[in-house]
Amino acid sequence: MSNLRDVYLEEAEELFKRIEEALLLLENSPEDSSSLIADVFRSMHTLKGNSGMFGLTKVADFLHNLETLYEKVRSDHSLLSEDIIECTFKSLDHVKKIIYDPEIEEQENIDENQALTDEILKILKRTEEVSIDLHSIEALSGMVSYLVFFQPKHDVFEDGTNPILLLDELAELGKSKVFSHMESKALSDSFDPKVCYTSWNIVLVTEKGLDAIRDVFIFVEDSAMIEINELFDGDILADQEFHERLPEVDLPSAPLSFDDFRSLIEIDRPSASGDTEIEVIPETTDSSTEEKTEKTESTPEPATKKAPVETKKTSTSTSSSEEPSVYKNKVKKLFDKNKTASSIRVSSDKLNELMNNVSELVTTQAALALFTKNNFDPTLDAISDNVEKLTRQLRDISFGMTLVQVDNLFSRFQRVIRDLSSQLGKSVRFVTEGGDTELDKTIIENLADPLMHIIRNSLDHGIETAEERVKNGKPETGTIKLMSYYSGAKVYIRVEDDGGGMDPEKIRKKALEKKLISKDDNLSEKETFDLIFAPGFSTAANVTDVSGRGVGMDVVRKNILDLRGDIQVESELGVGTSITLGLPLTLSVIDGLLIKVKGTHFIIPLAEISKCFELDRKEISNEFNSVIVLDDEQLPYLDLRKEFNLGMEDNPEVTSVIVVHKLGTKIGVCVDSIEGEYQAVLKPVGKYYRDQEFISGATILGDGSLALVLDAYKIVERKMSKQKVTA
Amino acid sequence: MSVISEKEAELDQVMHSFLSFTLDGEFFAVDVKKVIEILEVPAITKIPLAPKYLSGIINLRGKVLPLVDTKVKFGLEPVEFTVDTCVIVMEIKIEDETIQIGTLVDSVLEVMEVADNAIQPSPSVDAKYKLEFIRGMYRKDDDFILLLNLDEVFSIEEMNFLQDQNIEQTDAQDIKEQTK
Repeated sequence: MSNLRDVYLEEAEELFKRIEEALLLLENSPEDSSSLIADVFRSMHTLKGNSGMFGLTKVADFLHNLETLYEKVRSDHSLLSEDIIECTFKSLDHVKKIIYDPEIEEQENIDENQALTDEILKILKRTEEVSIDLHSIEALSGMVSYLVFFQPKHDVFEDGTNPILLLDELAELGKSKVFSHMESKALSDSFDPKVCYTSWNIVLVTEKGLDAIRDVFIFVEDSAMIEINELFDGDILADQEFHERLPEVDLPSAPLSFDDFRSLIEIDRPSASGDTEIEVIPETTDSSTEEKTEKTESTPEPATKKAPVETKKTSTSTSSSEEPSVYKNKVKKLFDKNKTASSIRVSSDKLNELMNNVSELVTTQAALALFTKNNFDPTLDAISDNVEKLTRQLRDISFGMTLVQVDNLFSRFQRVIRDLSSQLGKSVRFVTEGGDTELDKTIIENLADPLMHIIRNSLDHGIETAEERVKNGKPETGTIKLMSYYSGAKVYIRVEDDGGGMDPEKIRKKALEKKLISKDDNLSEKETFDLIFAPGFSTAANVTDVSGRGVGMDVVRKNILDLRGDIQVESELGVGTSITLGLPLTLSVIDGLLIKVKGTHFIIPLAEISKCFELDRKEISNEFNSVIVLDDEQLPYLDLRKEFNLGMEDNPEVTSVIVVHKLGTKIGVCVDSIEGEYQAVLKPVGKYYRDQEFISGATILGDGSLALVLDAYKIVERKMSKQKVTA
Repeated sequence: MSVISEKEAELDQVMHSFLSFTLDGEFFAVDVKKVIEILEVPAITKIPLAPKYLSGIINLRGKVLPLVDTKVKFGLEPVEFTVDTCVIVMEIKIEDETIQIGTLVDSVLEVMEVADNAIQPSPSVDAKYKLEFIRGMYRKDDDFILLLNLDEVFSIEEMNFLQDQNIEQTDAQDIKEQTK
């Protein structure tokens, strides 16, 4: 059961996201409203259904009202107003809470539930009035008249089918008028009570579509003749004249055909489609204009339907849609996604297992290749080649599967920015770019918090208030741009704002105040900006709800470093700030340098290495203060043998020194030998070794043995802290 | 095996299967359900500065498993490798997560069926091992076999406790080496 619950929660999460996405797009581009509203409605309906299915009746009840509201909005788009969207957002937040408190026991939730329900009901009531007053005609939009011909086979009673029940079911779909016909045999002497002689013609007016009608007959498809034809686009039964023209004789022996009905309608209609009617008006006489208007009402044209929506666009787009094409594309994309939704849900455990097996396959294949090379056999050679090819493909595919589009991440911020900007009273446009860039799932998950922090900072400290912006000659609406792109072996994510920028002087003053730097320190601009990452640094004049508690940027930097990424700041006073995060494509594969220390293989990530060279061990072994001089530069160094207590015996004469850098600190690392570059598939070493933090993982070498992947940063840190203790 | 246990079940006895092994000539046993497989000693990669009871890591078909020297864990001398030395791969639960570990033992003996009522509580007088570790004792011929409670033996807190002791040891070594 708990398993099912997880599935429910996961699905709910997805639906929330979908609804929010659609609502945000609705706010920005109301012209595409119909498909978006339909999407919101569908998602809401699914959510309600799911909740009900899992016994969360209170959640389902709450959603029911909301759904009703959207049902209304769906049939009349002009009803959609800002307060409805606002209310929906609030309701969604509420639902997110109550799915974890399904009985709604917490007082806070009880109150909220009541308040929101009232609000929805209020809106509902209002929309009802409006829709009756002004839009009664439009409410009929989507109504289509069908002619359904239903003739069961003679033996239909034998499997217990009752055709009348089907007709009842059909009648529930909308307005209907039923005509029945009886074969002449029924009246003759050979009448058999077990035979069905009747057939029916049903004129059905419904907005539910063809599929709903077909569903009614789903069980009798084989034992009856069913014909469904679209008779008229609109509500034909509302037309009095149509009724009058209908045949008066009941139970005629021959059923009326589709064409018969068609001709009944078309007697005085030049076209059934209804879109040329306005053009006809000038030619018609006065006496018929009344009738014409009536018809235009019953068959609302697309143009009239759109009009109220378009006027609404100007009223709701407060956040300004200067680039409607961007939104349009997004809307399109959202729905393209729907169409090609041929994906399945796989648990990440299974994916991880697949990845494990594939990387094991890669190493096994490497062993096979090695064996083949040493034992030449043409047949084996061909097989080995094929295995290699397949393995590589398999590896690429499975690694690709763990990649996720950053779009997933970006869309989360839409909502935050919307809420925050209204809370702060700032007008902000949020633009994303390169959402189709792919990144490892784990990285994406761990990026959410740091990015959120950066974006909040931009909103709170970066973007100025509207008045200030106008005063400085900038457009009233600020822009925050979130973009992502590949470059080399890295993915860059950049947050740009066109706000006030950072003042290096201010930062200096603040840093002095906080004693992060001394008066004589001569810092470059870059170094100054980097000060914002120092722990406890915050230049915000006053601490706000949103940011400014000074616990931010250092944590952000730590998170990014943990992901083996880097972070860079650029800023120009009065023009804006941009923060760029550089991230590895995937966490599970790293490019490293394979080294050997006393029989054990280690790997140092290439990204952390600046250079390597060889040294005679005698030159350094007696050094007292652990400093070596390289290219006129004094470098602290550490010997891995000493550092890891591996013993000094059989030390090679010539040692290799690798200069690693992290956070501007350079340090030399002495190792026995350098074996070469290696692409390492990183595997965790498990909880038992969590105190050995300088080991970030292990990797399997070609011969099946293991190499340890070193975290150079942690080693440096360890060395530094040790020195401090001894000093 | 299942046929036997079914017959035994008819006799109203609950049977448990245990895998027995030796450490320093003494007999121990663990629940078979926890045992994944038994390996000959593979290549072991030592992790520097790790506590002594952690022998290193091993590669089990692409999975990296921590290897525990069960003897050090129980306060005995480290395992000396002989032809009989084995690694038992076990599944244990730590911090609500099931993980696999390798454990070094002197030799693996057999899988045996033990009836519930044949398990005796361990005598508390001779508390050579921590009592939480011991699920009970079983007498086989003239030997006593200690049935281990694995999740307790290898829990992280227990490991940490040991680790603290070991770190002090390595620090002491550190100082020794520096003074050299």
